[in-house]
Amino acid sequence: MPTLIKDGAVTTDGWSTGEKSLLAPDAWLEQATAGLLLQVDTEPDAAFVKAPLIAIEFPEFKDGRGLSLGALLRSRFGFTGDLRAVGDVHPDLAHYLIRCGFSSFVLPDGRDVAVALKGTTVYSHYYQGSVRDPQPLYRKTSR
Amino acid sequence: MYRYDAFDQAFVDERVAHYRDQTRRYLAGELTEQEFLQLRLRNGLYIQRLAPMLRVAVPYGTLSSKQLRMLAHIARHYDRGYGHLSTRQNMQFNWPELEEVPDILADLASVEMHAIQTSGNCIRNVTADEFAGVAADEIIDARPYCELIRQWSTSHPEFDWLPRKFKIAVNGARNDRAAIAVHDVGIQANRDNAGNPVFDIYVGGGLGRTPVIGELIRASLPVEDLLTYLEAIMRVYNRYGRRDNKYKARIKILVRALGADEFRNKTDAEWTLIRSSAQQLTPQEVQRVAAHFEPPVYEKRADATSLLADARLKDPAFDRFMRHNAKPHRVAGYASVILSTKVTGIPPGDVTDVQMDLVADWADRFGHSEIRISHEQNFVLPDVRQADLPELFKLASAAGLGETNPGLLTNIICCPGGDYCSLANAKSIPVAEAIQQRFDDYDYQHDLGALDINISGCMNACGHHHVGHIGILGVDKKGEEFYQISLGGHSGHSAANASLGEIVGPSFSRAEVTDAIATILDTYVERRIEDESFLHCYRRIGIAPFKERVYAHAD
Repeated sequence: MPTLIKDGAVTTDGWSTGEKSLLAPDAWLEQATAGLLLQVDTEPDAAFVKAPLIAIEFPEFKDGRGLSLGALLRSRFGFTGDLRAVGDVHPDLAHYLIRCGFSSFVLPDGRDVAVALKGTTVYSHYYQGSVRDPQPLYRKTSR
Repeated sequence: MYRYDAFDQAFVDERVAHYRDQTRRYLAGELTEQEFLQLRLRNGLYIQRLAPMLRVAVPYGTLSSKQLRMLAHIARHYDRGYGHLSTRQNMQFNWPELEEVPDILADLASVEMHAIQTSGNCIRNVTADEFAGVAADEIIDARPYCELIRQWSTSHPEFDWLPRKFKIAVNGARNDRAAIAVHDVGIQANRDNAGNPVFDIYVGGGLGRTPVIGELIRASLPVEDLLTYLEAIMRVYNRYGRRDNKYKARIKILVRALGADEFRNKTDAEWTLIRSSAQQLTPQEVQRVAAHFEPPVYEKRADATSLLADARLKDPAFDRFMRHNAKPHRVAGYASVILSTKVTGIPPGDVTDVQMDLVADWADRFGHSEIRISHEQNFVLPDVRQADLPELFKLASAAGLGETNPGLLTNIICCPGGDYCSLANAKSIPVAEAIQQRFDDYDYQHDLGALDINISGCMNACGHHHVGHIGILGVDKKGEEFYQISLGGHSGHSAANASLGEIVGPSFSRAEVTDAIATILDTYVERRIEDESFLHCYRRIGIAPFKERVYAHAD
């Protein structure tokens, strides 16, 4: 079973169990109470923010387009619901996802849950601001 | 130079621990080869033809003597007693054990160094003019801006998984010694009328399979906007750069596909929305970083040129050293000195642990304990008292670092090639050696004057062959090594604009290359007007006369 990690803990919900449906944008526009499934090359749209959940599908973990798309949905379009990474999600990249505003991600079978749970705790500070923590280091502390 | 504070140190220490755990999991079979590949690349570790290769970041080519001694220690303890200066101002080790790399990284971290983002599809180590801060022709010291970019690009949450590698270079002098025209982003620092730093941003330059000169997309960008403008460029590239074909994934292909104007429009549209965000640089942060690069206290010394005249007269070798290795310094009585690694029989850029220790000693004794690495793969001592030059020359010569060939034919830029690199189509080091042997005569070299010969073992162009006055590219023809020669390239380091070389014609076997070069040089000598350089002569007469002569025997 793939593992859902949300806000730093293993859990399940209607989307991870498949009870609730995830729809691509065209179908979702007809049924906006469903979860919205986006590909990494989707152009973000203001209409998307009404979705209760947006899942971005990573075709390969090394494809960084999903990071930019997630960051834009949060910071530019103001999406406040659950932002989820699905597809080829890698535990060692959890800190990038979290910093780009993802609140949950689904790890495929065979990937290390314990590593993913460490998330952003691997580093005590980062240089740049991010969606999660917009202030760059030099605005937060006196260096 | 920049010194780490507690935050910088914590970050590299945590990076070592993180990578140590990733290595452990890989060795335990918990990470697949493909997974670990991506993780190790972001820490500078390649698996090469014979062994792993670790590329250590030397930010904008600047090192302290303490750091260089640590590199000597790493060469001695973990490698085979030598390292390699790369064309991007880094140091590479060719024989580390994969299991020991975390220990090497820990040793590096103990002297404020790392190997973060020296490979992989991410923002690489930022490069600069090796004479930044001391050059007589400097407009503005590029190093503080390089350091700001280094910190901003280190483990960036959004831009560490790009379509392809991304190289940024900054130049702050009148002459461009950082080759900004052939970088993904090239930055020329200037001063505006009020004396404030401003930046011209070039985008989409590069070498490799599709060589391109970068396009100016923003002139006179104020310093507070430097990082947000880069962020806008990176976001456009990360989202729209091609990922379906690695040979079409660099930003130059995107810029070309969209056109420079459309790329600028997209970047500007993005930038307008983030320009005033929290990512805008603060004057305090710019000042904090700039303070690390305050000039050292120089002794008050008169210009010693006339004093040295006597020594030059007595010793022709020292005279050559003064002519080619000692560069003008912005402070009277001082010089910057190039220590050439280009000795016949030694792969260009290779230096032993003993040489590294000696260079560190000289940096302490003659300068301010600082060393630079140039993209021409040489060491530079930025601050040497002119009066000490005879002594330094004596020591450097004895250590195999006193070759008086900077700027001349035998100062060849050369990638490791097929001897080491698994990407190479052909060997490059033996070609460099054959050329160095053939044209060893100093008087001949001196008569030829300024000449850059650059050699790459494959299309990836690590040896920058496109911007050599004479460029040599190794190609594979049905399993045999051949070499394509191009003429008229230029990286932009002297007042002439950067240009890409033009291929002279069909390629040559290894046995034919040196003769072909000889014919090209003969053609130049016959056709030049007075003291016209090779590059200027080529630009005047074009490729036809060279082509005619080189292939004459075929008729």
